[in-house]
Amino acid sequence: MFELSEQLELIQQALRPYCEKELQSKVDALEEGELPVFELMKDFDGVFGISSMLAGPLKKMIERKRKKEEEGVEERGSIDELLGGEVGTAIDPMLLFVVAKELSRVSPSFALSFGAHLGLCGQTILSKGTSDQIEKYALPIFAFEKMGCWGLTEPEAGSDAFALTTTAVPDGDQYVLNGSKTFITNAPYADIFIVYAKIDRGDAKTDKRMIYPFVLERGTQGLSVGKPMHKMGMRGSPTGEIFLDDVRVGLDQLLGKKEKTGRAQAKETLASEREEAPAMAWGIIERCLDESVKYAIERKQFGRRLVEFQLIQDKIARMYVHLENVRNLAYKQAWAMREGRGSLRDACAAKFYASAAAVEVGMEAIQLMGGYGYMHEQHVEMLTRDAKLLMIGGGTSEIQLLNIAKELARDKGVKLSLAGGLQV
Amino acid sequence: MNIVVCVKQVPDTSDPDTEVHIDGTGRGVDQSKFSFVINDADNYAVEEAILLKEKHGGEVTVVNIGGEAANQVIRMALAKGGDGAVRLDDESFVYSDVVATARLLKSAIKDLGCDLVLTGCMASDDGYGAVGIALAQMLEVPHAAYVKTVEVVDDKKLKVGRELEGGLLEMNEIEMPCLLAIQTGGNEPRYASFKGIREASKKEIKVMDLAATGLSADEVGESGSVAVMTQYSVPEVGDLAEMIEGDPAETSAKLANILKEKGLV
Ligand SMILES: Cc1cc2nc3c(=O)[nH]c(=O)nc-3n(C[C@H](O)[C@H](O)[C@H](O)COP(=O)(O)OP(=O)(O)OC[C@H]3O[C@@H](n4cnc5c(N)ncnc54)[C@H](O)[C@@H]3O)c2cc1C
Repeated sequence: MFELSEQLELIQQALRPYCEKELQSKVDALEEGELPVFELMKDFDGVFGISSMLAGPLKKMIERKRKKEEEGVEERGSIDELLGGEVGTAIDPMLLFVVAKELSRVSPSFALSFGAHLGLCGQTILSKGTSDQIEKYALPIFAFEKMGCWGLTEPEAGSDAFALTTTAVPDGDQYVLNGSKTFITNAPYADIFIVYAKIDRGDAKTDKRMIYPFVLERGTQGLSVGKPMHKMGMRGSPTGEIFLDDVRVGLDQLLGKKEKTGRAQAKETLASEREEAPAMAWGIIERCLDESVKYAIERKQFGRRLVEFQLIQDKIARMYVHLENVRNLAYKQAWAMREGRGSLRDACAAKFYASAAAVEVGMEAIQLMGGYGYMHEQHVEMLTRDAKLLMIGGGTSEIQLLNIAKELARDKGVKLSLAGGLQV
Repeated sequence: MNIVVCVKQVPDTSDPDTEVHIDGTGRGVDQSKFSFVINDADNYAVEEAILLKEKHGGEVTVVNIGGEAANQVIRMALAKGGDGAVRLDDESFVYSDVVATARLLKSAIKDLGCDLVLTGCMASDDGYGAVGIALAQMLEVPHAAYVKTVEVVDDKKLKVGRELEGGLLEMNEIEMPCLLAIQTGGNEPRYASFKGIREASKKEIKVMDLAATGLSADEVGESGSVAVMTQYSVPEVGDLAEMIEGDPAETSAKLANILKEKGLV
């Protein structure tokens, strides 16, 4: 359970030289915004054949869904269902973790954009979409023909995501969407957009619960995006706004083509973003430790190698403790996902711990390297800036803690609200 | 066209920080400090085999001498497009020299009915550079070494380019069956795809011990070798050599001083 299978070991071995040679050589261009991240994703797919690995399972999944739709059988559209289905069994969660980890050793930005494309956007369409919608919107995503993004956050609704104000007003057999999204990974260059909107029938009480994912395409009238935002880290991953100005869509662009309660859906997708964080933290920590040990052995001060100083030994030993913990959390999370035994509190605990550990290890790696560590030439500088995002994106560290406490109290029959106090 | 490609697992010394330590026997190196990879030239041989198969059909069989740990490099070759594999594994095979190694490989290859045998031109660990040629001799087929390009002329003949000093390419025609010892740099070894890696775990790796080779104990290992490796040693730091230490700025300044002092510049 705490070891990679022979297959995953081989996959890691195939990924490592690719990341260290091909990807590493492109990191600067990616960070400078000179190289589109989607180009790199296409290259990655060309080399490792993700699309060809998934083409068969996707086709089967569409056929099965179509049959069920014809029979009138409804699926829950949950992530567990997806994991247990054709596509889920074709991609072991640990495979995704190993990919995210290996990518994050070199470019967490690439891992983030890759995750938003396949994990957030692609996966949402697969679990919530009808067979037609999967065919039309998910296939080009998984074939790396079109880049996807997933937009929930709004300027005034971040942690309190369900306070979103983007509306979809029914008009005949259409909806008219208005509002804006911000901080959306891949949005500046995306071709396919999942955006969450509140269906607004002018009835405050029921409308509150009517949050649904719509799928939109670049070029749709009224849909526009902002320029990539300037960020502290994750600079190779474009982040931006989405503006919706009287965007008219039919029912066929409402995922699932039916008004079902959507709140749980967005929460579930958020969960998958949460689950990628420990894997990304694992990669960042592993690389920072590798670099730190190497540096501590090479660098001499006071006539001794740094590694001979016990204060330096303390640093690398603590880094290792974090590595060990985060790696174990990743194994545990993968196991839980595979067995369908994931729990919200454990996923939150893993994300909380792993993201803070990545930041701490990164900062210590910089400290260990002194002035050299602060320079761009040392990879740890970028990794540390990137690591900070893990404490914010996909739910902040504070929100992870609130969720854990909420669950613990709920076990005792006390219903807490994220807004503080009891749920009303 | 059926192809056999011989692959060796070697310590990964690509990381400049890898330090080599001689083990207690004095005849081996401490393996615990290394990670292992496919020998560089063999990686190019695998790619060449798969390129030929993709173009002209047939099957690629991967042959290796090694313990279970070597499955890793075998599986990777299978993941890239190899069809089957043979691993020669027996305690008695340890300390085989070039001749005994070639003899072992021959025992696995002779009944496979292949048109072409590919090896790397040299192993990065022992650097013998002779196994391919010895194997060709034993199989009684023509060979070419330091091969960088391979073209199929017809179903009997290949045109191969050998790399000579200064990058000169010498073109030769060679009749099949034959053996080519492949040089690095002639192609671009691919990365194994995820799908390929999945499929590789279903492919068979046939294991041959001494009995299965049909060889006797005195034909393999040290007793089957004509050259016996007696000891490894690390070159001693001589009095005439001065190791210059420090960061690049310091070392270059010191070096410049020495050159000036000795009147060499
Ligand atoms: C690089 C990047 C990429 C992103 N990608 C995406 C994407 O692809 N799709 C998407 O939908 N979103 C994305 N986001 C948005 C991200 O999910 C939000 O930034 C995050 O959820 C936090 O929301 P906020 O920024 O509005 O912060 P706020 O919610 O305003 O939080 C500010 C601070 O207050 C704290 N806080 C808030 N509420 C409470 C409370 N009840 N108790 C205690 N503390 C609280 C927070 O923890 C935080 O420290 C991305 C963000 C970044 C930076």
